[in-house]
Amino acid sequence: MLLGIDVGGTFTDAVVLKNGSILAQAKHPTTHGKLLDGVLAVMDTILRGMDATRLERVALSTTIVTNALVEGKTDRVNLMLMTGPGMDYRGLLPAEPVLLSGYIDHRGREAAPPDTKAAVAAARDIGGIYAIAGKFSVRNPAHEQQVAASIRKTASPLHVSLSSEISGSLNFWRRTNSSYYNAAVWRRFGEFAGAVEEALKRRGIHAPVHILKADGGTMPLPAARQLPVEAIFTGPAASVLGIMALAEPDGEAVSLDVGGTTTDIALWRNGLPLFAQRGARIAGYPTSVQAFRLKSIGIGGDSFVAREADGAIRIGPERKGPAMAVGGDQPTLSDAMIVAGTAAFGDARLAAEAMRQVARPGETEAETAWSILTQAAVEVCRAIREMISEQASEPVYKVEDVIKQNPVKPDWVIGIGGAAPGLAPLVAEKLGCRCRIPENAAVANAVGAAVAKPTIEITLRADTSQGSYTVAELGLAEKLPARNMRREEVRELAARCLRERAAQIGVEAKDIAVVYEEEFNLIRGFSTTGKIITCRLQLKPGVLYTQSHGEGCI
Amino acid sequence: MTGGKLGLVFFPAFDWAITPTHPEREERLLYTRDQIEEEGLLDLPGIREYKPRLADRIDADRVHIGVPDILSLITDAHLVSAGGAITAAEAVLKREVERSFALVRPPGHHAMRVVHGTRGFCTINIEAVMIEYLRRHYGIRRVAVVDTDVHHGDGTQDIFYHDPDTLFISFHQDGRTLYPGSGFPEELGSPGALVSTVNLPLPPGTTDQGLSSVLDNFILPVLDDFQPEIIINSAGQDNHYSDPLANMAITAQGYARLAEKLQADIAVLEGGYSIEAALPYVNVGIILAMAGLDYSRVVEPDIAKCPRQPAATTGYIDNLIKEWRQIWANREKLKREAIAKAGDFWQRRRQIYYDDSGISERQQETVRLCPKCQGYLTVDTEAEGYSLGYQSAFATVVNRDSCSACRSAAYDAAHQAKKQGRRQHCYVQDKQQDILIKL
Ligand SMILES: [Zn+2]
Ligand SMILES: [Zn+2]
Repeated sequence: MLLGIDVGGTFTDAVVLKNGSILAQAKHPTTHGKLLDGVLAVMDTILRGMDATRLERVALSTTIVTNALVEGKTDRVNLMLMTGPGMDYRGLLPAEPVLLSGYIDHRGREAAPPDTKAAVAAARDIGGIYAIAGKFSVRNPAHEQQVAASIRKTASPLHVSLSSEISGSLNFWRRTNSSYYNAAVWRRFGEFAGAVEEALKRRGIHAPVHILKADGGTMPLPAARQLPVEAIFTGPAASVLGIMALAEPDGEAVSLDVGGTTTDIALWRNGLPLFAQRGARIAGYPTSVQAFRLKSIGIGGDSFVAREADGAIRIGPERKGPAMAVGGDQPTLSDAMIVAGTAAFGDARLAAEAMRQVARPGETEAETAWSILTQAAVEVCRAIREMISEQASEPVYKVEDVIKQNPVKPDWVIGIGGAAPGLAPLVAEKLGCRCRIPENAAVANAVGAAVAKPTIEITLRADTSQGSYTVAELGLAEKLPARNMRREEVRELAARCLRERAAQIGVEAKDIAVVYEEEFNLIRGFSTTGKIITCRLQLKPGVLYTQSHGEGCI
Repeated sequence: MTGGKLGLVFFPAFDWAITPTHPEREERLLYTRDQIEEEGLLDLPGIREYKPRLADRIDADRVHIGVPDILSLITDAHLVSAGGAITAAEAVLKREVERSFALVRPPGHHAMRVVHGTRGFCTINIEAVMIEYLRRHYGIRRVAVVDTDVHHGDGTQDIFYHDPDTLFISFHQDGRTLYPGSGFPEELGSPGALVSTVNLPLPPGTTDQGLSSVLDNFILPVLDDFQPEIIINSAGQDNHYSDPLANMAITAQGYARLAEKLQADIAVLEGGYSIEAALPYVNVGIILAMAGLDYSRVVEPDIAKCPRQPAATTGYIDNLIKEWRQIWANREKLKREAIAKAGDFWQRRRQIYYDDSGISERQQETVRLCPKCQGYLTVDTEAEGYSLGYQSAFATVVNRDSCSACRSAAYDAAHQAKKQGRRQHCYVQDKQQDILIKL
């Protein structure tokens, strides 16, 4: 049995799944300010009459990190940077940094040693929280580690975030912002995690607790305590995972999560959602937190509908209240759906009245409703096309990739969310796709959290001419076991590191996938002196089991 | 302005090399990629990255006469690289960005009008392809090219040698000490375009000091005089003190300051083979400078190795500038005299070497000096090489403004050559109809 809980903006939803079927579901208003109260309330409701000891896993998609940031309940952070040569980052960061001398170059070589004395001297007494980032620390984390060690020795810090442990990818600016935010929410997340563990213990639940991440994977709570920044923006990730579990997109697809005021669009290829090219932004600052490629447009069931002076229909982006069918005072997209017969709630006569308010002279209510829905579908289609063309026009660095243009060509439109049945089929028709609206779409997010697989990513970079390799995420910088290693051997070494990491945090390392690989020959003076091989492996995001193929998939 | 200050087309061609150990190999922009990504430059609101488009065959045919045809001489990489330059230029002309940088490979500035193979790592001239594209599609006329590669941009010079609307300025390490061995002050352009070719051969060991002197005291004032509609920078980076193929002493700061002062509309990468010690820093410096951002912290780790400029070099450069200022001031007079001296036709004969392809070409150009227009051009070429064997061609070029008499004369000359059959291939490159005709 799997328990999934999704803390949404309005409701906290819970589902219990067994072999892919939903055994129970429950709902409780989200308790803003005291998220845990709502989580425990919905959990107690859903587990009533169940044997809680049979739970195999509890997974949470929570807004705790997002809320801490929005409400400003974050800690001050001693942000220490070794920027080396390059850009001036002052004014581009969420906090004023302390700049330390010393840096690593692009090959991971020390160009100048770090000034650990200056680090200790600059440590301010602002609560013992530190974030340390050095340029090219993913190529050699030694400097970050040395600065951290001297801080630990002298300043008894509560927490130190290192940029190299937070992301194995190049982009010092993003890693810096990520490690800052990781440190800033560390204490608040820790308190939440502690309270969750305590509450579960009191209820006799000993199943491991997982936290959903923005990349659509989960991580066990103890590991999440060190990487809380990963638990930001999990709502959209839960929704995408829910779609994966409920609708099993295959081939190429586009999914629509049609909510009250927005529609979130995701693109799918080979059954997997596409990722954003770079990381998510937090409070406007670019970070290395990976997230799905999503586009949100201001069209949802509650979007208000008006007739402009020039006769055009305007839909959204604001919500001016609920549908007239349920007592609102402005026409909405839902009213159009009710009149068109693609939604059934509230008072149909009031919905018809809503249509009369925006009708052209001589138009029937049904004609008005259909022209509104058509217009909404046109706007969603435009956003989908934009998204596909943005994806196709992203820079690539190989001739082969320029030549073989490969834009997403969706075969399916998948709709979830309350207003999806009224909109998704129209969008599918316009795109010439088939449409799928899964059952239980209302609890897709909680299902997504319940079945999301754990993800781990590591980046191994081997430099055979220097005879060394690094795995930044693990803080590893080691000698290569053999000279002249081939790509397959480097990949196997990386897989071993990933399995060790998985074992360390208590996750099963099944289905290791190569996310990215590159291999370059190093030529010095017209002869080959070695290779640089980079191998990024991941336990891919995915679902433990799907609605239709429950048995045996866990 | 919607996109920001700088458009960047970054195309390192990670799957393309001339040969595995050639300086133009996959690894060349690897460390530049690392530095650009690590800095986070592509996330800056003032910088927008563009995916290169593919250039079309006509884009190359508008500039080059490939023998037997251009597509048989190039790879897809060349079309991406030239297309990248076009993408960068269009971003500026569509006003999506204020200026742009095509950080692309393979390079192009040694590729001449007639192409038998690859020379100086170049097969098609990506700046020239871009410029002629802009002329065709955006109605641009006056263009200035400032070639800051350490090697003389002999291909670009060749293509625009008879074009008074293109000012070609190249500073480079003195041709007596470096490939391709040309680029002397007396190469001024053919009489109708005299002093629209400007060569500044600099002594080995020239530093940022010498560079900034040439720029401030000559190049910038000349650009002011010429009043181009757009300025192109052929931004080679092999003047760096660590470059293995040359002997100059320019730093990343020197290159960034150059970019800042030049304010080129479009910069296009050319050479630069110090792939670890120079390129990451030089490129970050140029990108920051072109985006109007602070570049003062971009300093090479081994900056202590950069030599100082000898006093004799400073004197030599000051003198060169003085001589050039005089030529520039007298350019109208010099042009009138050259035209008068040449009469109706001007001719030159040259030997051209293709070091990468192992080809030697004998070429004769004849320019009709027409009182009514920019005339027309005929080119007679024979090439020999190990794998090539022998090939010959005759081509005529109808200019954008060729008068009807020149236009028919150009066609007649080509048809006559075809009839005589002395050359294997005969072409008319008709810039009025935007077509390369193979007879
Ligand atoms: Zn060069
Ligand atoms: Zn004429």
